[in-house]
Amino acid sequence: MTLKVYGVLQATFTQRVLVVLKEKNVSYEFITVDWAGKTHKAPSYLLNHPFGQFPYIDDDGFILYESIAIMKYIALKYRDQGAPLLPDPGDLKATALMEQACSVEASNFNPFTTPIVIEKYGKPIRGVEPDEEVVKECVLGLDSKLDGYELILAKQRYLAGDSITIADLAHLPTGTIISRVGVTLLEDFTKRPNVTRWWREIYTRPSWQEVVASADAKI
Amino acid sequence: MVFKLFGNARSRPTLRVAHILKEMQVPFEFVAIDVQGNEHKTAEYLKKQPFGQIPYIDDDGFVLFETRAICKYIATKWRGQGPALFPDPSDLKATALFDQALSIEYSNFDNAAVNIAVEKVYKPKYLNKPTDEALVAEQVSKLEAKLEGYEAILSKQKYLAGEYVTLADLYHITFGFYIVEEGGLMLFTDEAKYPNMARWWKDITSRPAWLAVKGGL
Ligand SMILES: N[C@@H](CCC(=O)N[C@@H](CS)C(=O)NCC(=O)O)C(=O)O
Ligand SMILES: N[C@@H](CCC(=O)N[C@@H](CS)C(=O)NCC(=O)O)C(=O)O
Repeated sequence: MTLKVYGVLQATFTQRVLVVLKEKNVSYEFITVDWAGKTHKAPSYLLNHPFGQFPYIDDDGFILYESIAIMKYIALKYRDQGAPLLPDPGDLKATALMEQACSVEASNFNPFTTPIVIEKYGKPIRGVEPDEEVVKECVLGLDSKLDGYELILAKQRYLAGDSITIADLAHLPTGTIISRVGVTLLEDFTKRPNVTRWWREIYTRPSWQEVVASADAKI
Repeated sequence: MVFKLFGNARSRPTLRVAHILKEMQVPFEFVAIDVQGNEHKTAEYLKKQPFGQIPYIDDDGFVLFETRAICKYIATKWRGQGPALFPDPSDLKATALFDQALSIEYSNFDNAAVNIAVEKVYKPKYLNKPTDEALVAEQVSKLEAKLEGYEAILSKQKYLAGEYVTLADLYHITFGFYIVEEGGLMLFTDEAKYPNMARWWKDITSRPAWLAVKGGL
């Protein structure tokens, strides 16, 4: 049975899953969650995702939610297809560095980018005014965390070492949207040349360009 | 060379790592970082932890930061020596469910728990600053909105990733214990409201390895 993805094409956490599926060339069926109609809060939905969020997947009856867990599952299951995206599971240190990189995203990037996405992208879609104070604070926070990224990326090509992993890809959805709404920290080559070099490299991957194109086509 | 843990004797994330070292019976040396003197913001320190945070570890020259990555490394390297705190890596689905549980802690619990800990415990106790009760109320309701999800999971299985305790359960202790014990919040100890969560909470917080480190290093 084809793998089913439940989500929204424009939603950042859904896009994390899609970019890995494209990297791995896995065919899938996409089922749009009617977020405006709040299907994701219905009791039948909560059976599959007890926190009432998207995305989740159904792989021949195996239900999984939380985007990072899904990215990893797909990358492991289709290890031999496309870019590996994970170190050899038997390599203890390389695996630890990949997990460090995933935590770096979750601790130092997402907590600043997601609120910007909500304020400057999500709210305007719903006709709500963004809270500029929140945006300002998050931009400042992100700006200081990117100094840590610059230190890491001055020494290595990607966040977990010299090969791309799911940790790098996890940055794409919110990173793309903040740039679009005018937060251009990732693009400032003179300020942080290595961050920008890295960002350009992951942003231009054909897999990600396809995800962006299908999100834009559906608006 | 002996395993070195660099951090602060009272810092919760440092205790998280110490807890897992105890679980796995790994001898270690604790090296205190002078947080008050901002040692963790020096150029020298940033070479080890580029975001200027504690803790980090040095295992015979292998440097690693971010507590969850550190704990997983410890639980993997010394797997035979203590409890198996995550599923057999060759089991793809069990591993995915474990990763899902790890994300549950990070997405639904950590942020609110940290914010509550800062307001209810850290500020009054260590910074001599008043608690912002409005912020606490907001964070508590944010957390409570997620507890139904926990209760639903734990009514079907013993632990977050299935029938066995894993790192994902234990990570909740780090700040959860703090806000329950020192912050005086009921939350998941509320047996009337969340019987399964309360059962789970009692179970994970009575582990000998946790009892050994909970008071600090
Ligand atoms: N940590 C989750 C986050 C998922 C998430 O926040 N999804 C949003 C849409 S992008 C959602 O479902 N929001 C509805 C809600 O939280 O009630 C993951 O990585 O999958
Ligand atoms: N996500 C990090 C969090 C570590 C953390 O928050 N450490 C605090 C002390 S408890 C810190 O170093 N704060 C100083 C700072 O962020 O500047 C981890 O799990 O290792």
